[in-house]
Amino acid sequence: MALDLQMPVLVVDDYKTMIRIIRNLLKQLGFEDIDDAADGTEALEKMKQRRYGLVISDWNMEPMTGYELLKQVRADGSLSKTPFIMVTAESKTENVIAAKKAGVNNYIVKPFNAQTLKGKIEAVFSD
Amino acid sequence: MKRRDLMANMRRENVARVIDFLEENKNREGEVSLTDVMHLAEVMSGSMFDFLSTVQPAVTEELTAISREIGRMKDEISQLRANDMTGNKIPDAGRELDAIVEATENATNTIMEAAEDIMGADTSDPAVYQELVSNKMITIFEACTFQDITGQRISKVVETLRYIDERVTSFIERLRIPEDLDAAISETDEDRRKRELILHGPQMTGEGVSQDDIDAMMGGGQADIDKLFD
Repeated sequence: MALDLQMPVLVVDDYKTMIRIIRNLLKQLGFEDIDDAADGTEALEKMKQRRYGLVISDWNMEPMTGYELLKQVRADGSLSKTPFIMVTAESKTENVIAAKKAGVNNYIVKPFNAQTLKGKIEAVFSD
Repeated sequence: MKRRDLMANMRRENVARVIDFLEENKNREGEVSLTDVMHLAEVMSGSMFDFLSTVQPAVTEELTAISREIGRMKDEISQLRANDMTGNKIPDAGRELDAIVEATENATNTIMEAAEDIMGADTSDPAVYQELVSNKMITIFEACTFQDITGQRISKVVETLRYIDERVTSFIERLRIPEDLDAAISETDEDRRKRELILHGPQMTGEGVSQDDIDAMMGGGQADIDKLFD
């Protein structure tokens, strides 16, 4: 799968400031079509309305966490192939293992920098 | 000694105190506080004192010791200043934390707005652009002054936590409460959600796995994950 800067990206986080930070970093990387959602439920609704090329999601949100969103996306035939990067403060080994088992494409631990985000996005699309 | 003689040794006013206490509290539908229980114990032990002193001096000594212990407990509870904690200290600490969240959010928004203005600025006129950047930099420096205020607020919260810690620790030590007396912690719905959805929150420095470890886990297979447990 090739990296296409025109593809729509969905940023999921319950913290508006973090959405703003990731949105600005993505713009700096050249992405133009960036949408956002405040939790997994809203993200899933949006994903059913529109085909996103990449989902960047936080883990800890209510009512639906990023982990639950990931599992639901992977279980949905029409969404299951969507690249999914977890960006979270959850840095315990069991979190990373659970995310990997659930089918996450990459995992970024907060706080992170622009270079890390860029590297992980590129890694997802070079696989 | 006959039973009637023994009962005669219970002073009438002591019996009346027990009856008064029970009368006063009979309509409270189970809403009895620790203070009430201790008060009843005091009244009961006082009432029984005269009665039992004629029967068994050892029992009298026991009751005296119990009475003394109840008095000491009352003193310890008053030293705990629990009402001050729940009425003032803890709500004040909560307000300080709310103010910290608000201040950091405001500062972050101000800084991000300034950065976004610089990112989106027209660079065709270097002089105008330079002036805009200078002004926005001053705005960023000003916004960073939040750190001084939040630092002071955090100190107040830490002071409150220390205040609570000192009093609770002292209370536990003085009452000689053994660790195994702690009631078992039952899992709340929130606890269950956190366990099932693996919600730990941010880890302290040195805890959790680093981005490099995560990269190794994401790039490798089970063997790389196993290495983390070696």
